[in-house]
Amino acid sequence: MSRLSGIAIRAVAAAVPHEVARTQDYDYLTPEDRQRFQKATGISQRRISPQNQYASDLCAAAAERVINHLGWDRASIGALILITQTSDQPIPATSIVLQDKLGLPQTCATFDLNLGCSAYPYGLAVIGSFMQSLGISRGLLLMGDVSSRVCAKHDKSAWPLFGDAGSATALELDESANPIYLDLMSDGSGRDAIIVPSGGLASRVPPPNEGPVSSEVGSDGISRRPDNLILRGADIFSFAISKVPPSIKRVIESGARAVDDFDFLVLHQANKMINDTIAKKTGFSQDKSLSTLADYGNTSSASIPLTMCANTDCFQVDRLVMTCGFGVGLSWASASLTIAANTVLPIVETDNVY
Amino acid sequence: MSIERFIDRFAYAIEVEPETLSADTEYKELDIWDSLNTLSVIAMADADFGVAIGGQDVESTRTIGELWQRVEAKLGKS
Repeated sequence: MSRLSGIAIRAVAAAVPHEVARTQDYDYLTPEDRQRFQKATGISQRRISPQNQYASDLCAAAAERVINHLGWDRASIGALILITQTSDQPIPATSIVLQDKLGLPQTCATFDLNLGCSAYPYGLAVIGSFMQSLGISRGLLLMGDVSSRVCAKHDKSAWPLFGDAGSATALELDESANPIYLDLMSDGSGRDAIIVPSGGLASRVPPPNEGPVSSEVGSDGISRRPDNLILRGADIFSFAISKVPPSIKRVIESGARAVDDFDFLVLHQANKMINDTIAKKTGFSQDKSLSTLADYGNTSSASIPLTMCANTDCFQVDRLVMTCGFGVGLSWASASLTIAANTVLPIVETDNVY
Repeated sequence: MSIERFIDRFAYAIEVEPETLSADTEYKELDIWDSLNTLSVIAMADADFGVAIGGQDVESTRTIGELWQRVEAKLGKS
């Protein structure tokens, strides 16, 4: 249980590409199965990046939005942290490239974190405590993924779930800010639940430069390249509905709050069955649980800020919000946040490449 | 908690009539079975029995009776 004081969220922005992929057009499912899929997951469509656009581009668009909105002098930004699992290249860290592309000063400390669905609460914990302990007055927390690049298009257990998106959250040291309560969890024994098996040095298959890349048929009968993402939905589902509600309850208790004190619940957007179950088990009514599943699907690390940005009308007054991310790792985390009025900006649509 | 109740809840979860199922039903061989039914059954075990079953429990059992044994074993532990 952790409490982070003196950190204020000044602006939240999110960016998505223009191209829409609709569940009803997905050829690898029968028309009946498309209906069933849509009903169970809640996902009608997602956004897919053009071939030359990466997570860094979507995050840069969102970062430009918050910097311009706040009128911040770029020289005043002392930290930039990017959380992604689809970085532009293995090395160097994409956050360092973004320092240059965004015109941030060389005095800006940058690094990447490798987290997915649990990124938002973790990211706030890391950048908040980093800024606090080093006295960095302004920082940017960027999160985004182009999951469409790592899923095989014919993989009906993964491809129709994921959408591409980037986000930016601008933070500032502020002694008067309300504390952020956090709960940060990990369980690496569940690492196979969502995994891209190849590409790292400990890959279970040789990296592509040691032979041709060949597809293998998994136990689910789906053929994948070793650098494709594998998602074991049943395991994620079981994990999420059993481990996530206690995490949310711990944060509510640590802040000495009640469920009814919270204006909104913003969960990682996994699928409708998971999210409805978590909301129900934690006592949040459906209308308090914000969702972007229908229009954007599972947007990985960007899902929580994107979901706030898709609902700007909910954030025109000060709000107390419970956020919770859960998934790949396994990793899960919750954070209670105060979002000041008009801090959340509408979604930017862009195919820009920086 | 009885297997009769489990079969009843199982039928409700996968949207079939309870009379069409028994402890010996090889559930993954049902015409309507797909991966979304797996999620429905996991949700049912959680909501109605307070038990977390995983993908492995579904993969490694054949009949509804065998799956009930997994649920029952976990009930004993909790």
